Amino acid sequence: MFRRWRKRTGNVLAMVLLASMAVLSACGQGNGNGGEASSPSASGTESASSGATASPEASSAPASTKLVLYSALNEDDVIQLKKKFKEDTGIEIEYLNLGSAGEASTRVQAEKDSPKADILVGGSVEFYQPLAEQGLLEKYTSPNAGELDAKFNDPNGYWQGWYMGVLGIVLNKERFEKELAPKGVKEPETWDDLLDPAYKGLFITSNPATAGGGYIFVADQLFRLGEDKGWDYLKQLNANVHHYTPKAGDGINLTATGEFVAGMSWAHDIVKSAKQGYPIKVIVPKMTAFEIGGVGIVKGGANTENAKKFVDWLLTKEVGEMNTQMSNRYSVRPDVAPPEGMQPIDSVDLVAYDRAKAAEMKADVVKKFTDMIGTK
Amino acid sequence: MIPSALRQTWIDIKKLRHEPALALVIAAVLVATGFFVLWPIAKVVGFPHPADYLQLFTNERWFQAALNSLFMTVVSTLSCTAVAFVFAYAITRLDIPLKGLFRFVTLLPIVSPPFIVALSYILLFGRQGIVSKQLLHANFDIYGWHGLWLVQTVTFFPYAYAVIYGVLKTSAVHLEYAAYNLGATRWQVFRHVFLPLCRPGIAGGALIAAMNVLADFGNPMIIAGDFALLPTEAYMQMSGWFDLSSAAVLSTALLLPALGLFLANRIWVGKRSYAIVTGKESSLRAYPVPPFVKWGLFACCLFLSLFVLAVYGVLFYGAFTKTWGYDWSFTLHNFKYVSAKGSELYNSIRYALFSSLAAAVLAMILAYLAERRRIGVNRLLDLLAILPGAVPGVFLGLGFAMAFNRAPLELTGTSAIMILALTIWNLPTCYSACLAGFQQIGRSLEEASLNLGAGSFRTFRSILLPLLKGPFLSGLAVSFLRSVTCLSVIIFLYSAHTAVGTVSILSLVQTGAWGGASAFTVVLISIAFAALAATRLIPGTQDRRPS
Repeated sequence: MFRRWRKRTGNVLAMVLLASMAVLSACGQGNGNGGEASSPSASGTESASSGATASPEASSAPASTKLVLYSALNEDDVIQLKKKFKEDTGIEIEYLNLGSAGEASTRVQAEKDSPKADILVGGSVEFYQPLAEQGLLEKYTSPNAGELDAKFNDPNGYWQGWYMGVLGIVLNKERFEKELAPKGVKEPETWDDLLDPAYKGLFITSNPATAGGGYIFVADQLFRLGEDKGWDYLKQLNANVHHYTPKAGDGINLTATGEFVAGMSWAHDIVKSAKQGYPIKVIVPKMTAFEIGGVGIVKGGANTENAKKFVDWLLTKEVGEMNTQMSNRYSVRPDVAPPEGMQPIDSVDLVAYDRAKAAEMKADVVKKFTDMIGTK
Repeated sequence: MIPSALRQTWIDIKKLRHEPALALVIAAVLVATGFFVLWPIAKVVGFPHPADYLQLFTNERWFQAALNSLFMTVVSTLSCTAVAFVFAYAITRLDIPLKGLFRFVTLLPIVSPPFIVALSYILLFGRQGIVSKQLLHANFDIYGWHGLWLVQTVTFFPYAYAVIYGVLKTSAVHLEYAAYNLGATRWQVFRHVFLPLCRPGIAGGALIAAMNVLADFGNPMIIAGDFALLPTEAYMQMSGWFDLSSAAVLSTALLLPALGLFLANRIWVGKRSYAIVTGKESSLRAYPVPPFVKWGLFACCLFLSLFVLAVYGVLFYGAFTKTWGYDWSFTLHNFKYVSAKGSELYNSIRYALFSSLAAAVLAMILAYLAERRRIGVNRLLDLLAILPGAVPGVFLGLGFAMAFNRAPLELTGTSAIMILALTIWNLPTCYSACLAGFQQIGRSLEEASLNLGAGSFRTFRSILLPLLKGPFLSGLAVSFLRSVTCLSVIIFLYSAHTAVGTVSILSLVQTGAWGGASAFTVVLISIAFAALAATRLIPGTQDRRPS
């Protein structure tokens, strides 16, 4: 029996050896490709950065027809963008769908020694800012950005806002009708309606210490009501909150499956789940806060010229309409209609959200908030 | 004391002159493991500014999270080990029905696809849960540490089981008979003969379970409610606040308790001999246990099995429903998406297979060198093989992305980096199983072989390998299953050509298509178990020793 086993071990070892050789040869190839790809890209960026003053030299080299895109959007949306971009410009997009803005930003930081991406798309502009500060983004202001409200353009030119998401309330219609409506509770229309004691233990939101959306909600209340009243509001709301989820989106699933009656999250994400057939609806309260969704060109990517074309293309009316329709987010262009099932942006009545102040007070607010909820 | 230890090390190393081939192997293993374990971890540890580490003590939330993590590690490890022991005991020693089911249940929780399992728990045991509310009419709130305790116990006991099972299978029945003949009671035999001999297995199993609990962030994300834990905080600093530096600080903070666990474990096992495989085999049947113990343990196993089956049953059934968790009417619509993702499924299986094989082989060599040879660097090898378990998968993957993105080794976007990262991630699991196995085998067998003129290699191959088939295979199976459903390690490593099934699950979950996600998960799990079952058909991979 031992001999038989030995023979087989021999076979297994041979297989492993073969496999490892195959792997090694594969990475050898990878090395070669990486080397080849990175050398033209280095010269490409130089010409691009000097291109602002001199005439672009890119015309001497054959124009690349590729664009590597890291996305924090939904995969379905990226697939549609890819198809349309190919139709309009002939450029082929190779995309990686990275889940969330945090993953996309982390990946760009991890790859900074030899960037693999040409462009980052999706996710709040708040995450483009630290990347720009680390020198990982390429400066570019699209000619199409001039028509937009100033708040959608980076004053330093590293990122570009191209869509907008607003915070909303997700309501489980079935449980509401069954449990709260008989008590005479009306559907919530404002943030203040959520203070009704009827929601005690039935409301769920996200933690500002861990979730960007959770923080924007807290800052929204402080901007809306002022410092003192804002904290009073949060304290009262705390009595109704069952718990604060680490992620902004988790409250939607838990409300959709009936664990909770109401929650706070991004309106476009709520609509997305509602379209899957869950008994939920989105309510966008007055004085809500918003995030600006961004796009930014990665410095040192191989196809920077195509990335610029992509930014220009993204800001056109046609693409704005397409994105609004597929992702349920507002376009930054005033001439694009609001997403289906949501009010026009003028009537949403946004709070005066001061991004610089929000970033500055974050550490203090999070600390105060953590103390306030204690060991809930 | 340290100089003398160093001198001893040097003497041990010098002795290797007589076996140059062995010395070469040791050097190669040491360099390769050190490079692929330490370099990525060092990249993560070294990312933040040193002053950032002070925040760990000044930020109250993080300090609390650290305490919470320690607490969960203690309670969940205890319960995981206890459950694993009960299962291992019942399967190896008792004559009970349904053993096949119990074996399956000890593998099922290892396939733990992202997102879906935690939500299945909520669906069953949440405040509106199918079991908790509609079946038991209990007002049970799962969110918090107690709910997490339950879920972590179920999720991680199989890791402890894989180690403990290997050890119990070859327990020394003849010693127990000797004790009974000398008049010992059942309890005395259990307490003073059986349990001490199981110590390497229990210790190894507990260690690997503890590492997994410590680094777990998927379960706490949904189930822990307001109970903050270090890995979740670390992940969310990166994902929610784009603050990679704080994330690295928090994940590094996990290394310290992990190191403590490792030391405690090694001290507890100590230098005693646990050898029971001595070449003098006996074919005695296990001493029968009283019926109430037997059926009591059977009931425990059955209860837990039903629990696990319910959770995965919801997942499985959800794949065929219109709206996951709400509208339970039947549909096959969810499987439409799966057929378009054939190459991702293929990649999942391929990478899992290569990485688990590589991890099992490497772990075997490491365990042999660390446990069997006096080579001066035993403790270092021992630590290297366990260390990757202390880093949450996301950060291990991140380390790989940062470390192998430039010369001398640029692997970004290749299949090689995926396989390498998964291999290192699986190493502690395989290593624990092999190490416990080695500790059971008496040295007399090897000495006999060496005295008869066989060299180190021949002895290793002809004597030790056949005896270690069990731990080797159980490490392999566990690694394979967990790699197939792993998202955390590869999230920063995959490229358009090397995407795997779990990446598709992620994008489905993002779209809110939970039905599609669970359909994809079901297909992935089925393929993984089919692959596992297929290997059982290859003659010789089955462990034929009586159990």
